[in-house]
Amino acid sequence: MINLGLLAFAHPWLLLALIGLPVLWLLLRLTPPAPRRLAFPAIRLLTGLRVPEETPARTPWWLLLLRLLIAALIILGLAQPLLNPAAQLSGSGPMILVVDDGWSAARFWQARQIIGGKLLAQAEREGRTAIVLTTARDAQGEPPATSGLLPAAEAQRLLQGIRPKPWPNDRAAALAALEELTFEGSAHVVWLSDGLRDDESEAFAAALQRLGSLHVLREEGSALPHLALPPDSEGVDLVARALRADSGAGGRAEALALAADGRIIAKAPLIFAPGEKEARSLLDLPTEMRNRIARIAIEGETTAGAVVLLDERWRRRPVGLVNPGSQQEGQPLLSEGYYLQRALEPFTELRRGSVEELLQRQLAVLVIADAVAISPTEEEAIGAWVERGGLLLRFAGPRMVAQPPEEADDLLPVRLRGGDRVLGGALTWDTPAQLAPFANDSPFAELGLPDDVLIRRQVLAEPSLDLADKTWARLADGTPLVTADRRGEGWLVLFHTTANTDWSNLPISGLFVDMLRRVMAVSQGVSGSTGGEALPPIEVMDGLGSLGTPPATVLALDPDSTAPLRVSPRHPPGYYGNDSLRQAHNMSTTVTALEPLGALPGGVTSGLYHESPEQDLKPWLLAAALVLAMADLLISLLMRGLLPVPGRAAGKAAATTASSAAAIVVGLGLAGLAFSSGAMAQAQGTAVDDRRALEATLMTRLAFVETGIGDVDEISRAGLTGLTRVLERRTSVEAGPPLGIVLGRDELSFYPLVYWPITAAQPDLDAAAVEQVNHYLANGGTILFDLREASSGMQLFGAASQGTQNLQRLTRGLSIPPLEPVPADHVLRKSFYLMEDFPGRFSGGSLWLEAQSENINDGVASVLIGSNDWAGAWAVNRLGRPLMAVVPGGPRQRELAYRFGVNLVMYALTGNYKADQVHIPFILERLGQ
Amino acid sequence: MTATLPLRHRAEQLAATLPPLLVAAERVAATVAQGVHGRRRVGQGETFWQFRHYDMGDQPQSIDWRQSAKSDMVFVRQMEWEAAQSVWIWRDTSASMAWTSDRNHQTKRDRTDLLTLALSVLLMRGGEHVALLGSGLRPSNSRATLSRIAVLLENANQPAEELPPTLPLPRSAQLVLIGDFLAPLPEIDRALRYYGESGVRGTLLQVLDPAEESLPYDGRVRFEGLEQEAPWLVSRVEAVRGDYAKRLRDQREGLQDIARALGWGCAFHRSDQPPQSALLRLYTTLSQVLA
Repeated sequence: MINLGLLAFAHPWLLLALIGLPVLWLLLRLTPPAPRRLAFPAIRLLTGLRVPEETPARTPWWLLLLRLLIAALIILGLAQPLLNPAAQLSGSGPMILVVDDGWSAARFWQARQIIGGKLLAQAEREGRTAIVLTTARDAQGEPPATSGLLPAAEAQRLLQGIRPKPWPNDRAAALAALEELTFEGSAHVVWLSDGLRDDESEAFAAALQRLGSLHVLREEGSALPHLALPPDSEGVDLVARALRADSGAGGRAEALALAADGRIIAKAPLIFAPGEKEARSLLDLPTEMRNRIARIAIEGETTAGAVVLLDERWRRRPVGLVNPGSQQEGQPLLSEGYYLQRALEPFTELRRGSVEELLQRQLAVLVIADAVAISPTEEEAIGAWVERGGLLLRFAGPRMVAQPPEEADDLLPVRLRGGDRVLGGALTWDTPAQLAPFANDSPFAELGLPDDVLIRRQVLAEPSLDLADKTWARLADGTPLVTADRRGEGWLVLFHTTANTDWSNLPISGLFVDMLRRVMAVSQGVSGSTGGEALPPIEVMDGLGSLGTPPATVLALDPDSTAPLRVSPRHPPGYYGNDSLRQAHNMSTTVTALEPLGALPGGVTSGLYHESPEQDLKPWLLAAALVLAMADLLISLLMRGLLPVPGRAAGKAAATTASSAAAIVVGLGLAGLAFSSGAMAQAQGTAVDDRRALEATLMTRLAFVETGIGDVDEISRAGLTGLTRVLERRTSVEAGPPLGIVLGRDELSFYPLVYWPITAAQPDLDAAAVEQVNHYLANGGTILFDLREASSGMQLFGAASQGTQNLQRLTRGLSIPPLEPVPADHVLRKSFYLMEDFPGRFSGGSLWLEAQSENINDGVASVLIGSNDWAGAWAVNRLGRPLMAVVPGGPRQRELAYRFGVNLVMYALTGNYKADQVHIPFILERLGQ
Repeated sequence: MTATLPLRHRAEQLAATLPPLLVAAERVAATVAQGVHGRRRVGQGETFWQFRHYDMGDQPQSIDWRQSAKSDMVFVRQMEWEAAQSVWIWRDTSASMAWTSDRNHQTKRDRTDLLTLALSVLLMRGGEHVALLGSGLRPSNSRATLSRIAVLLENANQPAEELPPTLPLPRSAQLVLIGDFLAPLPEIDRALRYYGESGVRGTLLQVLDPAEESLPYDGRVRFEGLEQEAPWLVSRVEAVRGDYAKRLRDQREGLQDIARALGWGCAFHRSDQPPQSALLRLYTTLSQVLA
């Protein structure tokens, strides 16, 4: 066996056969390929024909190369090359196996155990003893200690017993344990690391290296453990966060939001940008679902750090905001409801409605602004709800002031004095008051006071003994601003000023939001402090991140201790508390940053866990040789014409094989070209759309539906052109040249009026076109359907004429409103000219339009259906001469057709405006003229 | 054309697309058989020719009573004399015919059989009497004969004939020869001259595979004949393509010369072309020769 570092050969002498390859080359080159045999009936004509100059036929060079490659592969394969040959253990002393078993090692723990087991097995084969050292403290909190010299088999059993711990490594303590280690000779040290760096890791590695040659196994990149951070509340949603160790390339992990019973509620991708260590991902969920999230875990990682437990702090409370009854709010943006809504929305689930509606669902807080009048039954319902534990938040205001004190309802924390107090008004001496700093026992304690919050008016409480206890916030002169009182299980809270800016500018300051947030916190029963009780463990995590009953070694958390809470063997991550209060204790309180194990001291070798140490390349090489030999066989068969080649003459096959690779390359190139040209076409498409939209909107234009039948579209265009000319000459409508539109392709909303000639040949509309036309009709568009046939009847859909059938076919799926013939006093009859009937190229057909459309779309009917072929009558050529004769005829009929067109455009553009104009004589008369 | 149908059905399908082929008659006096060729003379037939006064000796059944009732005379209805011609078809049955260069189109044999039968159907529909040369069948235009021709054509073990055998034929017979005619020109000349000298008029149709025309092979190929010819090794086929084409041209020109000397028609067909075109070409050459 010869060893070349990365590669070794088990039978190197076989490589000598490679010398024979050039000889093989010569041999293969001299032998001409066998001729193809071919039956041919016209052989009599061929017999005697000779090739003018006979050049010896040669095997093509690429085939020769292929065959040489096959031979070389076989020789190499038989020499049995080995990739990454396993090295022998170095040194003479014991093998020292250092195992990181903190939380971060739990990922791929099995792989670590297997690799450690293999190493110990190798040590056993070589007759070495072994020492095992773990780096995390044990469950009792004792610092790590070495196992002492053990037989390798014994060490293997010890290794199998190690479990990852749900707390971080303590390499400092392990370093101390190393100091005391004594043995003979130099050791072979293998460190099964978790791939993470801490302050002691360099010193630790250096200490290990002093014991003998050190080999470090570690993870890299995305295989390093992730740390789940407590989620942020962003607006109304939770944002899952995670940290990673390696901030190099971009990465990705999946955050799973889990309910208490382990069901997955949401899954969100955590995308690590290149160079970033933290990833955030919004969990977009309805509030009920959001409140069911018990923990957020990183998918596929079973470590105590990849799970973050949530407690009440992340719950959102449903808050009901009572609408001020039927009484319309004149200025909604200045109303109290609006201020409250904007202040509460970011951190609560806000519902609005009447008291009755709101109390039907579970509610934590009910907010009642001053403008809301409470009826006695409502008062009763609210009172009962507060008794059961609800929090009622009220605001004072003009309405409360106007109420005499004896009629005041019972839902106030303090008794109010009648009237209000104006500070800094025109008739007062004092200036608007600032807030006094919050008392320490107030829920608002520690909130910062901005200088510019001024209270101009307030209601005053009747002085009483317990007023001071009930006061949460007061003004600088000591008068209460916020009072609160317990009522049964619940709370009554009153702001002595309004929730809008009528009485103070508090509602537009950030303080208002913070105060409301604290009030909401009161509603959960979690006030500023936990009350100082120690929190016994309820459930704690094991090293693999699953919750279980706490072992006896776990101690209660002491929230009052000055030291920050840390994860330790005494306080593993989990839930602590009692029935009324559950607090989550997460790994992220202790571990705040992850860093990959950096450069190691010189002379230390390192490798990855998943690298397999030794790989035999023989089967791969032989398989490759076999595949190539099959290819060679196929090529030989092709060259002799023994293989049918579909779609090609057999004789071309050999040449084909050689050129097929080139063909693939060319094909790929062409595909690329096609793709890019497609993209260009798309870009061009948008440009065309924009151009068309500008064309349609820069001028008012009439439009017609392009039916796809050349002469019909021609007449439609000519007709609308003629009408546009008449409009320009006689009215103030100066429209641009008409445009044809294709339904389903062109945007309709630019056109006030669309002319749609009904033809037998127009294909049915597809779903997109139907939806588009419906949308156009529903939003104020007008379509004139023209059946273009002489008809005298008043019937429309009942008649079985060709035009009606086509109309029915083409309008299938369109929401055609109820129709009626044009009423005698309809605006269409007088919008410009006074008209009796509406002839086109034919006269006599009646015009139908949408019935009762006075109040919708400004009185413009969305659908007009007639059969008189108006476009035919309007159509003019370039010189302005009519294109088609009118039936029965006469210039009068054409003039009337134009007048109808003018009336129709006026009607579509001005709506019922002209209907109003009809009253002008009476108005003028009344004005005395 | 669907290849799964029996040969006869396919041939009838093919023939249905052309109008019935009426071979111009020539010197029909000897072959006296009824057919649909109006002779512009009184005789046996089905088409009305003229009314004639009743003479003694006329059969009473031939009196046209309707015409006779219009006047005092008694009239006899006479029909036009109609006569048919006999057409003898021969096709090459040698082994070289059962070959195709591409499995996507028919062998020359299949194409020849199809053309033979289609021509028979056409001729019979036109009222001609048809027989296969050398089959021993009498010319007839009955459906039964058509079926027997179809059976004969599809018969697997039939003697391999590269050139038509010399058989006595009536002087007015028409002869249609279909094959690849790759035999040496003197042999073809000898075989055809026999018929030409006995006064038989005929038409040749050479059916070739596209590969036989273009020789689309490359490189080193050993060609082997299908009729025990000696194999021939060509080291670079592309180099002899020109010479081959010239020889093929010579063969065709020789064939045309032979046909011209006998006053016969000559047409060429490639088996990847649609059979209709060949049938049409046969039709035109047949008409030209016999006009």
